[in-house]
Amino acid sequence: MSAAMTRVVRVGVILIVAALVPGLFVLLAGQNPWRVLATLLLYAFGPQGWSEVLVHAIPLTLIGLGVAFALRAGLFNIGADGQLIAGAVLAVFFAPYFAGWGIAGLIVFLILGSIGGAALGALVGYLRAWFGASEIIVTIMLNYVMIQMISYLIRGPMQETSRFWPQSFLIPDDCILPIIVQGTRLHAGLFVALVMVIAAAIVQRRTVLGFETSVLGANPGAAAYAGFRVKILTVIVMAISGGLAGLAGAVEVGGIYQRLQDNMSEGFGLAAIAVALIARLEAAAIPFAACLFGIFFAGSGALQRELALPFPLVWIIEASVIFAVAALQWALPSRKAIA
Amino acid sequence: MGTTKPKGDRLMDALFITALLAATIRLGMAIGLAAIGEAASERSGIFNIGIEGIMLSGAFAAAWGSVRTGSPWLGVLFAIIIGLILAGVHAFMVLLLRIDQFVSGIGMVIFGLGFSSFVARLTIGAKPTSVQGLAPVDLGAISHIPIIGPVLFAQSPLAYIALALAIATGWVINRTAFGLEIRACGENAEVAETLAIPVRQRQTACILFGGITAGLGGAYLSVVQVNAFVENMVAGRGFLAVACVMLGRRRPVVAFLAALGFGLAEATQIRLQTQYPDLPYQFLVILPYIAAIAALVIGHARRGMKAA
Repeated sequence: MSAAMTRVVRVGVILIVAALVPGLFVLLAGQNPWRVLATLLLYAFGPQGWSEVLVHAIPLTLIGLGVAFALRAGLFNIGADGQLIAGAVLAVFFAPYFAGWGIAGLIVFLILGSIGGAALGALVGYLRAWFGASEIIVTIMLNYVMIQMISYLIRGPMQETSRFWPQSFLIPDDCILPIIVQGTRLHAGLFVALVMVIAAAIVQRRTVLGFETSVLGANPGAAAYAGFRVKILTVIVMAISGGLAGLAGAVEVGGIYQRLQDNMSEGFGLAAIAVALIARLEAAAIPFAACLFGIFFAGSGALQRELALPFPLVWIIEASVIFAVAALQWALPSRKAIA
Repeated sequence: MGTTKPKGDRLMDALFITALLAATIRLGMAIGLAAIGEAASERSGIFNIGIEGIMLSGAFAAAWGSVRTGSPWLGVLFAIIIGLILAGVHAFMVLLLRIDQFVSGIGMVIFGLGFSSFVARLTIGAKPTSVQGLAPVDLGAISHIPIIGPVLFAQSPLAYIALALAIATGWVINRTAFGLEIRACGENAEVAETLAIPVRQRQTACILFGGITAGLGGAYLSVVQVNAFVENMVAGRGFLAVACVMLGRRRPVVAFLAALGFGLAEATQIRLQTQYPDLPYQFLVILPYIAAIAALVIGHARRGMKAA
């Protein structure tokens, strides 16, 4: 068998297995996989679904950009959920002061979100660079810490004045991202995400930071030998990665929730890792990968409603996609290696 | 954590100490079990960050098996089997397809989360179902000796299995030819290969062993510690186990003891919640996670994590 044939067979096998695994779980639930696929696609491209796909793609794009940026430097940021919370909390905390500021209030609100996430990310980078503490473990531990912290804040100091529900006060209107298509939840966060995609693509391709990041990821020894300040670089990369997740937090609050509450992230942090890997860490490809997962996230609601399929099916699909994309790299070795 | 200040004699009560130590062992054991196999796996040179997902799958399998068959021991067996299967996938991905071990591990975490929650909702229900658990051992009079009886002689049988596994694993790795080969694979796989050591076989064996202990750790949660399956019930214990292995510099017994340290942190925070009801409980719940970060920083676990 020729090398080309071998590749085709391998790719075929990988794609089939990747589709079979979620398919088997659908069968286990007593549903027809084809019907599930049809329901998913009809919803996602239907009159209600398309905007929900984009609504979910917004945070997935922002967080995915950050995860990919860190992964280019060989750093695993699994802490996006915690950084999202940090960003949302910082932005909401100061939001009341921006009432009447108009568009400036919204911009400061988003910047504060980025700062909150960046601070948490920078802390991880610092512990990694100076103390050799695994960023994987530290980011995950901080997720659990941040979940408890927001739980405390919305039941304590930042709780709404009636003190009935576990949620914070509402942010002022100035900090709300306007709806851009009437009758949907699609908000101006879409433009924030697109601007960040362009910015990330430029940083990745045209700047010293983008270059140093890639070298650090490909060969840390070479990066140190070339005189890069590896420790500082690690902190900067984790700060940017966390900053994007924090921005996603502010965008989610400004565009959807308009206040702090529990479960704001829906597991975007883990999904964003899959998004980054599918996009092969290319900033320009991230929004498309994010839309794919937007279909899964938004469609899972439809599957739950119409076919009574439990939501965790999304995670099984996510895992299949991660394994498949990684396996495709083995099957198509000419492409550039990830991380 | 050292935060249990002597606040009157009540706190220092022997009963309190007994309960605290017994709880330490009970709460640390799931992490400890997973850490034993992960230590072996990392010793052979392969990380498995995915043991969180394997533990979740094991916790579900044990609960499901116990509900279905009425025998928690069969549940434990199912947990071992699912652990072997998932670890086998990790070994296949990492050793044969040469996929980045962290990418495969994260995939395993997500799969375990999805598999356990999805199938649980289809079978034993989304709400926590109570599960018939493993009874603790009862050695009669010995189990009732003050202080040491409840702490040392009235734990779950799985706890004694865990202790034996930790010691046995440490012995195999440090004192046998097989263990020497494993260490050689982890230190330098190329050199090991030139010495005609079957590197992949040794690494596969260690990864599979890691799957067994992670499955057992998950089973411990659902049929010993909680007697129920709750979605995402592992709640970071798999990652804490990886942290324990880093702290223990990949030595199984030390990693196991580190896990008991996290058990102590957990037992302490639960008691502090009742001691200081005015303090927001969230600040206490985070103690084990903060302890993990602090321990990693203080431990300068550099040697364990070069490749990340």
